[in-house]
Amino acid sequence: MRATLADRAWYLLTTALRMYRDHADAADWMRHQIDRFEGALRIAVTGPACSGKSTLINALVGDEVAPVGTGFVWYQDGPTPRATLYPPGEAERELPVTRVERGLRVEVPGWLPADADPGEIVVDWPARALRHAVLIDTPAADLDGGTMARVRADADAVVYATPTVAEADLLPLRPGPGSSPGAMVDTILVLSRADEVGGSRIDALSGARVIARRRDRGIAVRGRWQTVVAVSGLLAHTARTLSEAEYAALAALAAQPGADLAGHLLSVDRFTGQAFPVPVDAPTRAALLDRLGLFGVRLASTLIRTDGASQDTLPGLLLQHSGLIELRDAVRELFLDRRQVLKARSALRGLRMAVQVWPHPDAGELSAGIEQALASGHELRELALLASLRAGRTRLSAERTDEARRLIGGYGDDIGTRLGAPEYLDPTRAWTLTEESLHRWRGDAENGTLTEDQRRAARTVVRSCEGLLTQLAHTDRR
Amino acid sequence: MATFWLDVLDETIRACAAHGRTDLAHELQHRRAQLLDPRLRVLVVGAPKQGKSQLVNALLNAPACPVGDDLTTTVPTVVEYADEPSGVQATDPVAHQVVGVPRQLLRAGLVLVDMPPLGRAGPADALLATADAVLLVSDAGTGLSAGEVEFLRYAVQRCPTVILALTKIDLAPRWRQVAERTRMRLAQAGLNTPVVPVSAALRLRAAGTDDVALNAESGFPELVGRLQREVSTKAQRLAPHTAAVLTATAIESLVAPLVAEHATPPAEHTTAALQLRDLQHRHDGLRRHASRWQSALADDISDLVSDIEYDLRDRTRRVLRTVDEFFDVADPALAWDSFVPWLEENLRYAGQANFAWLVQRSHWIATRIAADFAGYRPEVLPESTFWPAADAFGGVAELERPALGEFTLGQKVFTGLRGSYGGLVMFGLLTSVAGLPLINLVSLGAGALFGSKSLRDEGSSRLLRRQSAAKAAVQRHVEDFFLKFSKDCRDVARQVHRTLRDHFLTLAEDLQEEIADAARLAKDTADRAAVEQDRRRQELQREFDGLVALRHKTRLLTTAATAGVAA
Repeated sequence: MRATLADRAWYLLTTALRMYRDHADAADWMRHQIDRFEGALRIAVTGPACSGKSTLINALVGDEVAPVGTGFVWYQDGPTPRATLYPPGEAERELPVTRVERGLRVEVPGWLPADADPGEIVVDWPARALRHAVLIDTPAADLDGGTMARVRADADAVVYATPTVAEADLLPLRPGPGSSPGAMVDTILVLSRADEVGGSRIDALSGARVIARRRDRGIAVRGRWQTVVAVSGLLAHTARTLSEAEYAALAALAAQPGADLAGHLLSVDRFTGQAFPVPVDAPTRAALLDRLGLFGVRLASTLIRTDGASQDTLPGLLLQHSGLIELRDAVRELFLDRRQVLKARSALRGLRMAVQVWPHPDAGELSAGIEQALASGHELRELALLASLRAGRTRLSAERTDEARRLIGGYGDDIGTRLGAPEYLDPTRAWTLTEESLHRWRGDAENGTLTEDQRRAARTVVRSCEGLLTQLAHTDRR
Repeated sequence: MATFWLDVLDETIRACAAHGRTDLAHELQHRRAQLLDPRLRVLVVGAPKQGKSQLVNALLNAPACPVGDDLTTTVPTVVEYADEPSGVQATDPVAHQVVGVPRQLLRAGLVLVDMPPLGRAGPADALLATADAVLLVSDAGTGLSAGEVEFLRYAVQRCPTVILALTKIDLAPRWRQVAERTRMRLAQAGLNTPVVPVSAALRLRAAGTDDVALNAESGFPELVGRLQREVSTKAQRLAPHTAAVLTATAIESLVAPLVAEHATPPAEHTTAALQLRDLQHRHDGLRRHASRWQSALADDISDLVSDIEYDLRDRTRRVLRTVDEFFDVADPALAWDSFVPWLEENLRYAGQANFAWLVQRSHWIATRIAADFAGYRPEVLPESTFWPAADAFGGVAELERPALGEFTLGQKVFTGLRGSYGGLVMFGLLTSVAGLPLINLVSLGAGALFGSKSLRDEGSSRLLRRQSAAKAAVQRHVEDFFLKFSKDCRDVARQVHRTLRDHFLTLAEDLQEEIADAARLAKDTADRAAVEQDRRRQELQREFDGLVALRHKTRLLTTAATAGVAA
């Protein structure tokens, strides 16, 4: 039976553990890798300085849990809020945490010398979003690649938040030397601070989405990221945690006729100034600005005034505008649904590095196995194609796109979902369906009128179908 | 004041050319031309999406620069005055656009250059060299990044008039704190760049609705005022200030190599001194060495002589003992002829062995002495020392035959008769008592017996005498031989001594002369190097003084210019 990438990774990990059992350090590390392989998916949120990483994490989690300290912070699901500090070279210790109104506050130890390693902090926080994945907040990705290298080693997938799409900001994403061609399957690019595009025009968010789509479709994407999403972290986070008082203030603002209010919404100074027509006091206004930004205030008041958004519907509308839903979809489809593949990939990469660091006389065969698994892993190609189809980089006809996504596991990994058939599918029917699809897509793969891109996509689908046939044959035998 | 800065700048250009720094001279020429130009060229730079193009448009209230959501500015846009709005593409020195806008601000002499984001426009050096002033644009939402501070530090050295504009203050809720923090950060970094918070959006809106209050809120009046002031007082304030900074930097880079050269001691001097010292050391060593080897040689030769003598003595004594043993038994009268060659041969053999040993020892002594000299030069020993004079070993007299005497027949008869007499008579008397005649058979017989006995006695005593005579003769001969031979050996040894000593003395003298010559040469070189070094030092000092005078002038210029700028 043709093994999946995950199976192969597992096999190679256990072989390596056996091989290195005499070497204390290496064996420890292998065991740690095996634990990690069986654990939750790790998603790192990184990017250049001041790109809104922490706000994005807060938006994803739904509570204000970031930022904490200056180093790497791991957020995982836990029954009670807890924070543990792991300083380098010392024993771990608990940090005092307090639940504040909207989230969590952690007492980070005070002053450290400038270039001291602050150590890592692990925060346990009960949140639904954290049940499926562990989020990692990172310090700013510096240009020399040190932080990025560490991020890629520790995390299985990367969400890269950048305020602009300038080359300077995207430099840390360039593929490192000797990285495999499938390097990009673990990265999603997020245009954070989307509300600031174009000087926070009223249509800033759609402008941001246009930029994102343009970047998504470009050829230069190959090898750098799976997809681009425009998100306003601030809006998303506030939308999820909007309070009654805030809604009341916004409603009061919206009650004012638009023309009168427009003048006062021109700038933050005017908004928080003395002469304000609406009976909302200055501290509340300042707080609103902090939470929503001027753009958010403008948008919310417009939504209430023109669309009649109520306290129940406003958060939903804001969330929709903010682009968080697209981000969550992308993360789910490209990361969470493909946990096995991503975890296998990071396990194999870690193993490859370990074999280089600790040479072993029998390591040749192991290295060969790792390289073969990484190069030929069909699941990785499926994942890349999935993203391509999503972004529209690869264009097939509408129903073909849907069928392709289905067959390569875009909606689910098991045979039934892949074939688009009901659950209890008898083997003969499954076989027939698969054969038909195979035949159809093979025709596409050899069709001269299609572009090379489309033919490549067809070949990937063909291979998936072949995989399905093998699987069916195996179950048949049993 | 107006021309003082020009003079100082010209002088600096000349100094650069004189020091061989034509690149600096070119650059300063270029800047000089620019400073004399009444227009003020302002470079608008910053990170991507900070609002540079929008700022320029807001300053002029005209859509001169392209603005968009994505990265829009890709080539520099030069905005200057023109009576009619115009736009052209140009390519010198890099591709750029030139836009003409009819605005009062530009007519006063302002030229704005909107740059693509930092890092895209090519080497920053060349650009900063074409600008009179720099307007660094940073977003008020995020504050200054470390890269921007670095850029400021760098820019201030090339183009001292820098203004920092914090944009988008209409959107940033805490822009006042950010401005304060930025000012503090700049002060900490030692940069006194003015920070001007502005909002292009407010300004454009105010221009559209002629709203004076809004215009004031946008912060642009301050920026415009600053720019106007810079334009109008370029010749009085900006030009001297820039000239002061440029000349100071140029002079520093000219002075630096001089100072470096002054600080390092020239390598030549030290090597010459080292060489000289080394040679002197060798010279002294050679002299000390001389006395040592001479005494060593004398000791060795005297040891040699005594050893050789002893050896010869030993050998001759052994020969004598053999001779004694031989002559204890043999009869010299018979064996003499065969004995003499044997003796001669043995003596010759002893002499040869002894002499060979002498030669060997002398060789060894000479080699040892020469080994001490080998430190200076590998030396070949003179062969002629060791062959003795041709007549050294001749002249030992021949062994003479000793007077051995003969035992003639008559003597034998006489001795026999004399000996027999006593016996005859004794036994004759005895037998006459018995009634026999005196001469009878018994007495004759006894007489014969006695006679033969005395004959034998006489013979053996003669033999003994002969033997001792022979021994004595041999001993004398051997003594003679020993005396002569040992004298000859001693002569040879002394000759060897003398020859070796002379030889090594000449050798040592040659070496000393050689070293003295080399020392003289080294001293000459060292002297010449010292002279050269002095000359060079004086030259350096002259150049240095010239530059110090220039720097003083620059300092005057700087103080005056700073006072002017602060005013």
